[in-house]
Amino acid sequence: MITLKIAFRNIFRQKRRTFLTILTMFGGVTLCSFSIGWMDGSYNYIIDMFTRYQLGHIQIHRQGYIDRPSLYDTIDDYSVVASSIESAPGVTRTSPRLYAAGLVSVGDKSAVSRLIGIDSQLENAATLFDRKITSGRPFSRDASREAVIGVGLAKRLAAVVGDTIVVVSQGADGSIANDAYTVVGLISTGDPASDQMALYLELADAQELLVLDGRIHEIAVVADDLHGVRRLASLLQEGLADPGLVVEPWQVFARAFYDAMMADKAGGWVMLMVIVFVVAIGVLNTVLMSVLERTREYGLLRAVGTRPRQIFWLVIIEVCIMAAVSVALGCLAGWGLNYWLSIKGIPMPFEFSYGGMEFTHAFTEVNTRSFVIPIVVVILSAVVVSALPALRAARTAPAEAMRTR
Amino acid sequence: MSANHSDAVVVTKGVTKEYSDHGIPVLAVRGIDLEIKTGEFTAIVGPSGSGKTTFLNLISGLDRVTEGKIWLNGKPLSEMSGRELSDFRRDNIGFIFQAYNLIPVLTVTENVEYIMLLQGLSAEERHRRVQTMLGELGLDGFEKRFPPQLSGGQQQRVAVARAIVAQPALVLADEPTANLDSQTAIELIDRMRYLNETHGVTFIFSTHDTKIMERAKRLIVLKDGRIDSDEVRE
Repeated sequence: MITLKIAFRNIFRQKRRTFLTILTMFGGVTLCSFSIGWMDGSYNYIIDMFTRYQLGHIQIHRQGYIDRPSLYDTIDDYSVVASSIESAPGVTRTSPRLYAAGLVSVGDKSAVSRLIGIDSQLENAATLFDRKITSGRPFSRDASREAVIGVGLAKRLAAVVGDTIVVVSQGADGSIANDAYTVVGLISTGDPASDQMALYLELADAQELLVLDGRIHEIAVVADDLHGVRRLASLLQEGLADPGLVVEPWQVFARAFYDAMMADKAGGWVMLMVIVFVVAIGVLNTVLMSVLERTREYGLLRAVGTRPRQIFWLVIIEVCIMAAVSVALGCLAGWGLNYWLSIKGIPMPFEFSYGGMEFTHAFTEVNTRSFVIPIVVVILSAVVVSALPALRAARTAPAEAMRTR
Repeated sequence: MSANHSDAVVVTKGVTKEYSDHGIPVLAVRGIDLEIKTGEFTAIVGPSGSGKTTFLNLISGLDRVTEGKIWLNGKPLSEMSGRELSDFRRDNIGFIFQAYNLIPVLTVTENVEYIMLLQGLSAEERHRRVQTMLGELGLDGFEKRFPPQLSGGQQQRVAVARAIVAQPALVLADEPTANLDSQTAIELIDRMRYLNETHGVTFIFSTHDTKIMERAKRLIVLKDGRIDSDEVRE
C-alpha cells in the first residue's frame, strides 16, 4: 500500500516529464488502435466484397469437387439441402450453381469457356449479379435461351449483345450437348481471368443442356457476419444429412486469396512494431532518467530496510499507473477515430470499381482487438523496458547512493 | 568466534575497510576494535577523511568489511545475506543522515511511520507511536506537511522521529547537525540526548563540531582510520 502511495505521488513530482511520458504512450495506443482498425477495416472490406458479392462466404460441394471438379459430383437433392441451410441462423442468402466446360462460338470465332448455370433471381439477391452487367441487361425473369458472357470472352469472340452464341459440351449421359443462346448482357465481375472464360446460363437451361436435371455442383452461402463464417460453416456441416457434402468457409475454398490477404496484413504489423518501438524508447528514457535522479532516495529506502523487490515494484507500479492513464485515454481516442472513420471513411486517392462495386472510400473498423492489442502491447513494452531501470533501482548500494548528490 | 558481551550493542574486532579510489587502494578503516554498550550516547569525531562515515556504514551493515568482524545485538553482520541484512537494519537500526533524507512525497506522519509499515505493525500502534514521537520532538501540527514545506531543523527532527519510532537497538547519525545553524544543531542534539536518557536509545553519531562533541557521553576520536582516543566523559 505504501509502495503504491509513493509510486502514485512520484508521478506528480516532474509533471512535465510525466505529461510527455503519458503523451508518448497515449500516442502509441491511439496510433496502434487506429492502425489495427484501419488494417482490419480495409482488408475485411475487400474480403467481404470479394466473398459476399462473388464467391459467397461459404460454399457447399460434393466431397473432392474443389480439388478435382467433375460433372458427376453433384448435389442431387438441392432444394432439401438449401432449405436446411437457409433456416440456419446467420445465413443471409443461398445461391445454387452448376459448372461445366464447353466450346462456344459466335460466327466463325470459337473459344473454350466455363459454363456457369445460375438461378438469376437468387444470384441477384445473393451476390448482386445484375449490378455487374456492363452492357445489355441481366437475365429476364422467365429467361429462356438467354446468356450473359464475361467481357473478356466477348472480346475473344468479338461478340456483342444480341448475338447468337452456340455452346457445345458433354452431357452427363455421355451425349453431345449443344444449343444456341442469345447474348443479353456482358458482365465484369472484377476478376479478369474469370471474365475471359465465363458464360452464364439460367440454371434450368444449363441443367437441360448438360442433362443434369435438378442437380447442381455448388451452393454459395452469404452470411450475416464475415467474422463468424468459420463457426457458421461448422454449424452447417453438422446440420447436413448427407455426409458426402462438404461445407467450407472462404478461407478454405479461396485459399490463394486468403493467403494473399494474410500476407498483406502481416505487413501492417511491421508498422505496429515501429510504433511500439518508439513508445518503448520514450518510456525507457523517462524511467531511466527518473531512476538516476532518485538514486539517493532508493539508497535511503534500502538503508532503512526496504527490500529490493519492493523498490523494483515501486518503479514498475509508477510506470503502470502512467500506462493505465495513457491506455484509457488512447483507447477513447482510438475508438472515437475508428468509429468516425468507419462511418465517414477516408477518400481513396484513386477510385476504382471491382466486381461491379465502386470503391471510393476506405473504412476503419471498431473491433475488440483494436483495443486489446494496443493495451497489451503498450503496457507490456512499458513494463519490459522499465524492468532494467527498476532492477538498477532495486540493486542500489545504500552506502554508495547516500554519497551521491 | 562470537561476541560474548551481554550488554554490548556493537562489537567490532579488527575491522578494516579498503576501497579503490580511481584504481588506487585506500585504507579507510584500519583494524578497529570497539564495543558500544546499550544506552550509550557516543560521538565519533575526527577530521575529514578520518573514516567516520565509512566506520558508521560498516557497523550499520550498509557496507561490508574487508577484514574483521562486527556484531550488532550479538548477531554477526558478515554472516548475513543481503536480504537478512536489509531486514536486520529495518528492525535494529535507526538512521539519521546529514541531508535529512526524508521521502519527499510522504507527509511527516507517513515518513515517520514508514519503517513501522515495513515491519507490519498495526495502524493503531503506528498511530500511537507517531503521535507520541512527534509530540516529544515538537512537531505537533506538522503531521500533514511534506518535507519541502519544513525548515532544515524540522526535517532533521522528523528524521530523528523516524529513526527512533520503530524502537531500534541502535541509532546511527552521520553528521546529523552539519546542515543546521549552530542554535538548531544544539537543540537537535539536546533532543537526541533527551531521548537517550528518557527512552534508553543507544546513539552513535559522527560530528566535527566541538559544541556538539561536548554533549556526548563518550567521545571516540578517529585518525587515519584508527581509534586515536576513546574517552568516557560521564
